[in-house]
Amino acid sequence: MEFLINWLSNVPQSAVPFALAALGLIVCERSGVLNLGAEGYLLVGANAGAGAMLTTGSPMFAFVLAALAGGALSLLFALLVINLRMNQVISGLTIVFFAQGLTSLIAARNGWTSRSFSGLDQLDFGLLTDIPVLGPILFNQDAIVYLTVALFAGAVFVFKRTEIGLQIRAVGENPAAADSTGVSVSLYRYLAVVSGAMLIGLAGGYLSVGVSKIWVDDMAGGRGWIAIALMIFARWQFWPALAGAVLFGCIEALIPRVAAVGLQVPQYFVLMLPYVATLCAMVWVSLDRTRHSGVPAALGEPYVREERR
Amino acid sequence: MPDSAVARSHRSLLSRINLEIREHAPVPQQVALLAAGLLLGLLVSALILVSVGVSVSALLNEFVISIVTSSRSMGNVLDRAAPLVIVGLSAAIAFKTRFWNIGIEGQVIFGAIGATLVANADIGPPELRLFTMGAAAMLAGMIWIALPLYLRLRLRINEIISTLLMNYIALNFLLHLLYGPWKDPVTAFPNSKIYEHVERLGSTGWLNISTSVAIAMVFVVIVAWIFAASRFGFLMKFVYANPAMARAIGVNVAVLTILAVLASGALSGLAGFAISAGIDNRMTQSFFVGYGFSGILIGFLARNNPIAVVFFAFLISALMVAGQSLQIFYQIPFSIVQLIQATIVICVAASEFLIRHRIRFVR
Repeated sequence: MEFLINWLSNVPQSAVPFALAALGLIVCERSGVLNLGAEGYLLVGANAGAGAMLTTGSPMFAFVLAALAGGALSLLFALLVINLRMNQVISGLTIVFFAQGLTSLIAARNGWTSRSFSGLDQLDFGLLTDIPVLGPILFNQDAIVYLTVALFAGAVFVFKRTEIGLQIRAVGENPAAADSTGVSVSLYRYLAVVSGAMLIGLAGGYLSVGVSKIWVDDMAGGRGWIAIALMIFARWQFWPALAGAVLFGCIEALIPRVAAVGLQVPQYFVLMLPYVATLCAMVWVSLDRTRHSGVPAALGEPYVREERR
Repeated sequence: MPDSAVARSHRSLLSRINLEIREHAPVPQQVALLAAGLLLGLLVSALILVSVGVSVSALLNEFVISIVTSSRSMGNVLDRAAPLVIVGLSAAIAFKTRFWNIGIEGQVIFGAIGATLVANADIGPPELRLFTMGAAAMLAGMIWIALPLYLRLRLRINEIISTLLMNYIALNFLLHLLYGPWKDPVTAFPNSKIYEHVERLGSTGWLNISTSVAIAMVFVVIVAWIFAASRFGFLMKFVYANPAMARAIGVNVAVLTILAVLASGALSGLAGFAISAGIDNRMTQSFFVGYGFSGILIGFLARNNPIAVVFFAFLISALMVAGQSLQIFYQIPFSIVQLIQATIVICVAASEFLIRHRIRFVR
């Protein structure tokens, strides 16, 4: 029982990076832009967050900077895929490569590598926190955990109830039709790409500031790719993505605890777990052919208007 | 809205920019634009290097002079270029059937595991040892791509994500081997025990060219022949241009994809063998770092053309060798090489935009 509480109370922390990254990805891809750069945005976010913590020590500033770093990198991506109509697969991979090089260069030049710093405090809800079992799991987390849930609710609201959300969905499903009604395809795609990347940057910031409290090169460790699989798994829908993220949070929080259960599995096989689980999740989703995959109709297609002379 | 109305509505503007799509730019112009993009990428990279504290003269020395004048540096560049050529070919073959093989790194790892398995167990007669290792590497690479291939064809699972996930699984398996059963028995370091002499790809004995370079060139010729002259290559062009159309006129797209993708996996595996038996003479923790992504970028830059693959592989190899000396002499992290590769791809992609579009200023 104690093991269970200990494990589950660590789940939200492990789930947040997956959740925020998947949220950002969905925001971006609903506008029709295929985003394979998630791993890169996670890295620049984590890098900026760690740098801010080491230089100023303010978590608030670190998270703002992490989101801005993700947004800034995505401007380059948006320029490539929206304006220059570059292949979106190659662009996404290039962004990851670029971010890997850039972040380890910045970290090495500033001596940030492997220097630990203080992280975030848990919020205290007084009586609620003292509830047995549920208290430590639900009411003893840091602020970003609750912010994540709020951001999901906000995104659902924007996409379902506001003009902006409608336009983003329109340019993702049928850009030509949206264009003919006077909606600027480029503008809304820029908006979606940059705000999505800011969310992923924030996820990265949480990874370094909230979870590991240290910067090491390539610390995103494939979470960006898992988040992409999560988005496919959730059929580009917000709440299922959050549920999937919690599931992966459970798996990740289990990894350091496998030995405690008494299972004698070689450690590197335990570390394979998230990737194997992701593959299994993808297989499971694809076996269910009855439901629509939910992929935005114009995903991956650069929008080219019939141009006039 | 008739054209005249559009023209009227824009009369107030002095001029506006119009983009026109063009299918076929003249070839000399294409080459010139690509070369300009490449030069721009190198220039930006040089600026990045200068900004992190490398002097211009040091830059020239590491990137040009020492590579051209020192036969040892040149040899290093060639040795590293061999596996890069092979992974570039691997990417090109898969891309030709619209299969995004992003799992090259994992297949490289498995190739090296296959070769090391043969070396450790001394399988086969010593005279044929290298051949056995190469074959085992190719087989292991094919095995590692078989699952994503099956999932894509059978369940339509996106191969970009599945091949990438396989990279991480392969990496953890490699670490398991190197920290566990295959740890060096002599030094207890996490690398496999050093290959015996018969298990190393030495020099061919001709002009100091190493065997791995010779192998890479043989495969360049084979792949170039397949693409340009074989029936298989002809059908691949069909599938690349329009898979639905190819299917409609009776091309067996599934079989073609299977063959091309398995060939891609085999080549990636072979690259793993070329690195471990041609450069390191053992399997290490990080021998594969960067080769996967570099292969994809080389395939993209070369537009799946085997001859162009050689050129770009050579370029990236020079970059890697120079990156190593920058790391040693200027304490600049090796990751700068990744940054530069990405910069080059971005600049070349920007120039591709000008190849595919004509910009007009309309009054």
